[in-house]
Amino acid sequence: MMIPVRCFTCGSVVGQHWEDFKARAVEGEEDPGAVLDDLGVGRHCCRRMMVSHTDLVDIVAPYQ
Amino acid sequence: MSTEPNSVADAEYDVTFIERGPERARFLIRGITPAFANGIRRAMVADVPTMAIDTVRVVENSSVMFDEQIGLRLGLVPLSTPPGEFEVGESVTLSLDVSGPDTAYSGDLVSAEDLVQPTVDGVPIIDLKEDQRLEVEAEAVLGRGESHAKHQGGIAVGYRHLQRVEEVGDLDAYDAEESHVLRGVIEEDGELIATEEFDHDLRERYPGKELAVEDVPDAFVFHVETDGSMTVEELVSEAIGSLEARAAELREAVQL
Repeated sequence: MMIPVRCFTCGSVVGQHWEDFKARAVEGEEDPGAVLDDLGVGRHCCRRMMVSHTDLVDIVAPYQ
Repeated sequence: MSTEPNSVADAEYDVTFIERGPERARFLIRGITPAFANGIRRAMVADVPTMAIDTVRVVENSSVMFDEQIGLRLGLVPLSTPPGEFEVGESVTLSLDVSGPDTAYSGDLVSAEDLVQPTVDGVPIIDLKEDQRLEVEAEAVLGRGESHAKHQGGIAVGYRHLQRVEEVGDLDAYDAEESHVLRGVIEEDGELIATEEFDHDLRERYPGKELAVEDVPDAFVFHVETDGSMTVEELVSEAIGSLEARAAELREAVQL
């Protein structure tokens, strides 16, 4: 659905990095690891929040 | 930790900062017991109250998410909480009104109180399509981390022993060197070195040396991060203040 606001494990706020990460690493060509380092998402618990996320809002939208 | 001149100097505690930022810091405290170190850690996580949205009145929600999902997401948005300004249980009203096609962000929250504002503006709450609209009124309440994780001011708060590394001799020239991974901060002749400097591998810093590594008694390196609701300094001094308040309460209860 939407990117979780916080990391499930440590509670650090990660949601604000998603749009950047998506543009640069998911749709862009940059290396995901380097982008996460650049965004300051350092712990692997927070990194998996971004790496494993899929936006489903657009898929769900027609079925309201 | 307090900035008052007499508090640190008068006690036998010795605090050294290794890394110091507003929302992230590492510091060494000497002269505390493991129990006290853990007390401070637990107070930072569970005892320092922060503001978080707790009740949401939904005026209109035609988005694809249920009201309670929106409520959870709003609750997790960190809100600035100046220490001492509010009592636990006191509330502040915030409102959010976004019409699609647009994305509702945490920064769209409008607070009735200047002191309590979302500290991160760019968290997407919900993506709204054509004809979708989200209008809510929310009550943020001051609560403690022990009641809900959204009230935790400290994130990934922990501590490690300070480790002392000494060279005790040379390794046999024909021995295969094994990696010696260490994380945290080491002390070498009184000098503090973060292990990041040598990629956490002692072999990088002391090639061909035989080493003795031991924990320094009663010296702990704290790693403290906050969610932005207050600075590290405020968080640590509030945590220590809460321990002090508990001790005072106990003394009062013990006296007849």
